[in-house]
Amino acid sequence: MAAVSLERDGAEAHENDGLGAVADAFRTWRAGDPAGLEQLVRLLTPTLWQLVRSYGLSRTAAEDAVQTTWLNLVRKADTVREPRAVAGWLSITARREAWRLTRVDGRSAAMEPETITNLGDVPGPATPETLALAGETARRLWRFVAMLPERCRRLLRVIAFDERPDYGRLALELNMPVGSIGPTRGRCLKKLRDLMEGGSR
Amino acid sequence: MTTDERALLADLRAMWEEIDPAPPDLATRALFRLEVEAVLAADTLEAELMRLEEPLSLAGARGAETASETASSITFSSTSLTVMVTVSPATAHRRRLDGWIAPSAALRIELRTTTGVEETRADDDGRFVFADVPAGLVQLTIQPTEGAAIHLAGPVRTPAVEL
Repeated sequence: MAAVSLERDGAEAHENDGLGAVADAFRTWRAGDPAGLEQLVRLLTPTLWQLVRSYGLSRTAAEDAVQTTWLNLVRKADTVREPRAVAGWLSITARREAWRLTRVDGRSAAMEPETITNLGDVPGPATPETLALAGETARRLWRFVAMLPERCRRLLRVIAFDERPDYGRLALELNMPVGSIGPTRGRCLKKLRDLMEGGSR
Repeated sequence: MTTDERALLADLRAMWEEIDPAPPDLATRALFRLEVEAVLAADTLEAELMRLEEPLSLAGARGAETASETASSITFSSTSLTVMVTVSPATAHRRRLDGWIAPSAALRIELRTTTGVEETRADDDGRFVFADVPAGLVQLTIQPTEGAAIHLAGPVRTPAVEL
């Protein structure tokens, strides 16, 4: 199943979009129907996977982080004040857990200074098998992404799946001022665009 | 954000989903773990939790391990019971469970799998069989049973394990 993007831009959210379905599932569950929880888990697990993998966790650690996130939701569902907030709550919880795992177990290399790495050095992403199975478009884009600094890769992956993550926490994790997140996102996207245009010439 | 930036982020999203997708059974595994947690939470104090004696992956704790091709044994223990289970492949995706409860008693046993709950009763020697079980996560509960040689104060539950 495709991951739901956690876009919550403005008021133009439609009831039929991914987040509308998420809010509905949460409401159903909280009203006492366990089918709502199942739907919520099936809808958002692929997105949570993407978010925690952006921290460079191994696949095993990423699974732990996703499972812990769902356990936390079940234990603390009362603290989610309104159904449309549940996606943001899960995003923060998952990323907090992923960050904790990188610190506690040293499961991920610390954030390196910005250096250009080649494909073989990029931590985390796909196994050689999944890379080989991916389509040409995805493989080509991945090669350019692999040339970006790690900070860019992580920032773009988080923002691709959660358009509005809490910037305070992200800034802390990426070791940059809160005010730099927006401009850095723009610079990273531009860098990627430049690489793609250079690569296609 | 500009239109171009949005388009590029959408491409990135599609790329990561293709290059590094979530394991297809991750949601099912998470749901099983939640279900087991809910069962445990609903227990009153008298439920007894067993320990896993043999090293085998705990529910959700480890990801991609696959069931071995040959029979393997798992032992659970608690203060009142020991349960030994031998797992053998029935087909590629089905397993056979041969179990033995000690001390021997004809107790009722529930097997929770990702597709539901099955129930059987051990014989007087404490032996029981689940002949056709889906591979994946399972969890056993031994229930207090009228007429069994042992009186249990409450249900005895194993942790969830991957078959």
